[in-house]
Amino acid sequence: MSDEPLLSVRDLEVVFHTERERIHAVDGVTFEIREGQTVGLVGESGSGKSVTARSILGLVDEPGRIEGGEILYRGEDLTEDNWADHRGDIAIVFQDPTNSLNPVYTIGNQIEEALRIHQDLRGRAATDRAIELLEDVGIPDAPRRVDEYPHQLSGGMAQRAVIAMALACDPDLLVCDEPTTALDVTIQAQILDLLAELQAEQDLAILFITHDMGVIEDATDWVNVIYAGEVVERAPTEALFDHPAHPYTRALLESIPGRTDPDERLPTIEGEVPTPTGPATDCRFAPRCPEAFEDCRSVAPEHVSLDGDRSAACLLHDPARSDGGERQ
Amino acid sequence: MAGAHGPSSDAADDEVTPETASTILPTESPTLVWVGLGAGLLAFEVGALATFLVAILSDTLAAASLPGVGFVEGIEAAARQLPTLLSRETVPNEGYWNGQRWVGTFLGLRPEVAWGIRVALVYLYALAVAGWAVLGYRLYRREYRAADWTPRDDVIDRFRNHGWGLFGLAVVFMFVVMAVFAPALGPTTVDKNMRNSYDNELTYWDAETDSVETILVGEANLASQSRGDGEERVGPMEYDDFGRFHPFGTLPTGRDLFTFIAVGSRISLVIGLLSVGLSVGVATSLALIGAYYKGRVDLGMVLVSDGVMAMPQLLLLIMLTTVLKDTWVAGLYSGAFLLALIFAFTGWTYMWRSLRGPALQVSERQWIDAAKSFGQRPRTIMRQHMLPYITGYLLIYGSMTLGGAIIAIAGLSFLGLGVSPPTPEWGRAVNLGQEYVDTGSWHISLIPGLLITLVVTGFNALGDGIRDAIDPRSDAAGSDADDGAAAGRGGGA
Amino acid sequence: MSRLRYIAKRVALSVPVVWLGTTMTWAIIYLGPIDPATRLLSEGQTQNPAAYEAARTQLGLDQPPLQHYFDWMGSLLTFDLGQTWLLYQGSDVNALILDFLPRTLWLGFWSVLIAVCIGVPLGFYAGMRSNTASDYVASMGGIVWRAMPNFWLGIMLLAVLGSSQAIFGFDWQSLWIELDALTGSPDLSRLHTVEGFLAATKKVLPAAIVLGSASMGNEMRIGRTAVLEVRNEDYVDLARAKGVSERALVWKHIFRNALIPLVPIITSEAFLLIGGSVLVETVFSINGIGLLFFNAATQGDLPLVGTLMYVFILLIVGVNLLQDVLYTVIDPRVGLEGA
Ligand code: SF4
Repeated sequence: MSDEPLLSVRDLEVVFHTERERIHAVDGVTFEIREGQTVGLVGESGSGKSVTARSILGLVDEPGRIEGGEILYRGEDLTEDNWADHRGDIAIVFQDPTNSLNPVYTIGNQIEEALRIHQDLRGRAATDRAIELLEDVGIPDAPRRVDEYPHQLSGGMAQRAVIAMALACDPDLLVCDEPTTALDVTIQAQILDLLAELQAEQDLAILFITHDMGVIEDATDWVNVIYAGEVVERAPTEALFDHPAHPYTRALLESIPGRTDPDERLPTIEGEVPTPTGPATDCRFAPRCPEAFEDCRSVAPEHVSLDGDRSAACLLHDPARSDGGERQ
Repeated sequence: MAGAHGPSSDAADDEVTPETASTILPTESPTLVWVGLGAGLLAFEVGALATFLVAILSDTLAAASLPGVGFVEGIEAAARQLPTLLSRETVPNEGYWNGQRWVGTFLGLRPEVAWGIRVALVYLYALAVAGWAVLGYRLYRREYRAADWTPRDDVIDRFRNHGWGLFGLAVVFMFVVMAVFAPALGPTTVDKNMRNSYDNELTYWDAETDSVETILVGEANLASQSRGDGEERVGPMEYDDFGRFHPFGTLPTGRDLFTFIAVGSRISLVIGLLSVGLSVGVATSLALIGAYYKGRVDLGMVLVSDGVMAMPQLLLLIMLTTVLKDTWVAGLYSGAFLLALIFAFTGWTYMWRSLRGPALQVSERQWIDAAKSFGQRPRTIMRQHMLPYITGYLLIYGSMTLGGAIIAIAGLSFLGLGVSPPTPEWGRAVNLGQEYVDTGSWHISLIPGLLITLVVTGFNALGDGIRDAIDPRSDAAGSDADDGAAAGRGGGA
Repeated sequence: MSRLRYIAKRVALSVPVVWLGTTMTWAIIYLGPIDPATRLLSEGQTQNPAAYEAARTQLGLDQPPLQHYFDWMGSLLTFDLGQTWLLYQGSDVNALILDFLPRTLWLGFWSVLIAVCIGVPLGFYAGMRSNTASDYVASMGGIVWRAMPNFWLGIMLLAVLGSSQAIFGFDWQSLWIELDALTGSPDLSRLHTVEGFLAATKKVLPAAIVLGSASMGNEMRIGRTAVLEVRNEDYVDLARAKGVSERALVWKHIFRNALIPLVPIITSEAFLLIGGSVLVETVFSINGIGLLFFNAATQGDLPLVGTLMYVFILLIVGVNLLQDVLYTVIDPRVGLEGA
């Protein structure tokens, strides 16, 4: 692996302007992805993970705006409005496959559109390539399917077609925003397998955005846990699952079925993710944190490096406030 | 009114403590005070209210030529004796210049000022009543309702922040007040100025003879006609030669346009409300029945409504008004009642179309199946489990259809159908002024048209506001298409 | 194939609709409280029993109602529409309709065209620039425009055009092509010549603008929300991520989808147009079928009213079928969902 990360997001700030307030949906997110790596971004809904995904592709809709930080793709800052130069290098797959395909054009038409832009294929050649791609993503009877309209495909098939469309751009990085959430469990597994396969074959980097710790465990090498617009813990997947450092990560892990005592009720995290409207003056998890102590309400925790490359933003790990840490 | 209470006071509503109670009414027993205020407000208008109610009754009886007319007329006369504080008698604007000063006007003021005061008082009074109602609702919400919060509170709060909807509400409020207080608002009355103008006299200052003269109102009208430029017109905010003030000018017949419009607003509103009420009733029952039984029942309804809709609404209106114009129903309230019936008959389809989707959606819910499995009767299921979910749509489409009805009524009376003369109707004013638009008497057609536009916009805005308040995410192309169907825009008038 | 089946189904469904509408018309006219025969006779003749009986026989009213109903429906079906009684007395109804209908169609054609050509682009424009000043101006304009009564707008427009010299500095009547009068029927006999075509167009233009006003407002509003909605769809974002140029994004991905909700609006405006034609033709004195209907109704030629209503029903149902066909062209989902 080269030294320079493929994509590096630094201190990303995305603000939504409503009539009354500024909502900091993403408030200083930092993480990176190396070539061929699968990185997870995990958090509850409302934590800012989808906005982060959209920011990477420059797809934040009004009234949202990227107001700070940088998104470096191979060292080049995309936030300086040069997404257009890198279209196709980064592709995205959304949660709901039925909304991801334009209902009035055939599957083939939409894949060929990408092929025309990125591989300069037209006519027969483009159609043949589109059929190949559909076969690659495991769509049976591809020559017929290529002329069908999106509503004629099942959810799982449609998501495969979306992935085929993404591949038609010949990307280096595939951003998957909850790609399996809208699908049945068995189909979820198939899509995850497909992505793993494609990654192995094409040396594709994948950014997995999900709320599902199970998916993270199965599919990723590295995890960033995001809470209220901030990354609160980052670690290699295995290490994170073995020794979660941040209380929020622990809470997330406890809510996976089968990880705790089967007789006990599955713990859930009480409360909701707050929507930050100003700079942090405390730990945003404090109101829900089972391990919160006094300082948590007056100090905003910074990332503390832990063993390996991992880090966590929790005062428990801050040596200066070790009184909390010792309670462990 | 509603806007006066900021969102901050909502927080106070949540806790019922003596302190917060006092923020609304500084007293121990707010309810009593509220009732007292209501009684006080009512006292201003007892006479008008009684007269109005009795008049409707006698009108109906007379038109249907039922017995008891004489008796009711007796009550009517008695009702007129009741005092009304906000009436033209209390604040008169009709007087005459006797050479030195105005005689017979309120405090001897100029007629325009006296009239202006009366209009201002009426609107202040209406605002007070509206404020009183809002107060009552807030009182109820805080003191009597068991729940601290219901989803409806959110709807109301959302509406309060919807500028466009509030604009609609304001326009509709102005219009309704105009309709309700029509007799008190006009500078003169329909009876004196139009219906029986040759039975009423008028005193005025004759500048030529330098003396106070009397003349029949009808003759004075003939000399105050608006049929052209300069001398041949009495424009808006002008006096005629007889010292009468005309806020909107005069009609080509010399009658007062403002009085005409104020009274016309009442008939538009009555027809509109009646027809929308009827079509809402029909459309709702059919939508519920169709959604409950589905299948053939639903298909049958689709066919029938398509059949009715295949006849363009305005043409159907024209056909029905001509065919039915000599029947006794047509005599009720100058034909307004018949018109409302015809509207309901031709208009329910549009409303039903818009309700069908939501009704079908509700009928798919599990609680409907659950209720069926408990053996509840279809009627009960429809009323208790399905109806509440479509009432919101009723408000939205009701408001928009009302706007359409007002345009269509005006269109019909423009053509000389529907509301029979001399009962004023806005469309007829447009028709009367048609010949004179390119002269100095442009006001006759222009003003009623502008008012129709404003009122219809108001009703549409109100509907928009209610929709956004009920379902903030519904700003969809689909729902707009439904509005188009529901409003029907008066069938193209 | 299923698209063809879908259309066939719509055609089949429109038969009972025509039947129901026509039956209701018959019931209103022949079972209603007015005796069509008396209305056809002049004041003096109503007293004359012989004339009255003759009128009844000619209308077929001496037969039992059911028999009359079947006869009447039969003659409508075969377009054996007979002769007029009162209006244009004694002329052939078929010929009358053929004479009057083209003028209304000409007016309707232009009003649809103007409404679509102005309303839809304006709505799309407002939708693409949502929440900007130009959006607000366009939206407000559309809302107010929609709320204006046609007959009033017509009068005002005529007044403005009548004094266009004073207001705009040019005279509408003599601009480009000299018109004999501001109002009146267009001359459709010379449509094949360029000048005749332009003259006929200019003549109905003000009327068409008025008649199309409500539709224009509707189309603008729907167009705006449709664009707004489509713009936020995932597939548009995905297309953008794919590298589709902004131009192609707008034209291929946004507008095409935004057109779908507009189809029913444009066609449902047939109701507004046909209804509105009565008023607009009255204001602009255009001898169209709407005015004919109105005159027949007010003067008591009820048989003609019924016949014309039948023509209107056919027109409306025809437009609805056209809408279904358009739908299948524009939206691939129609007819395939098994709906
Ligand atoms: S800083 Fe405090 S409140 Fe925040 S996660 Fe750590 S222990 Fe919990």
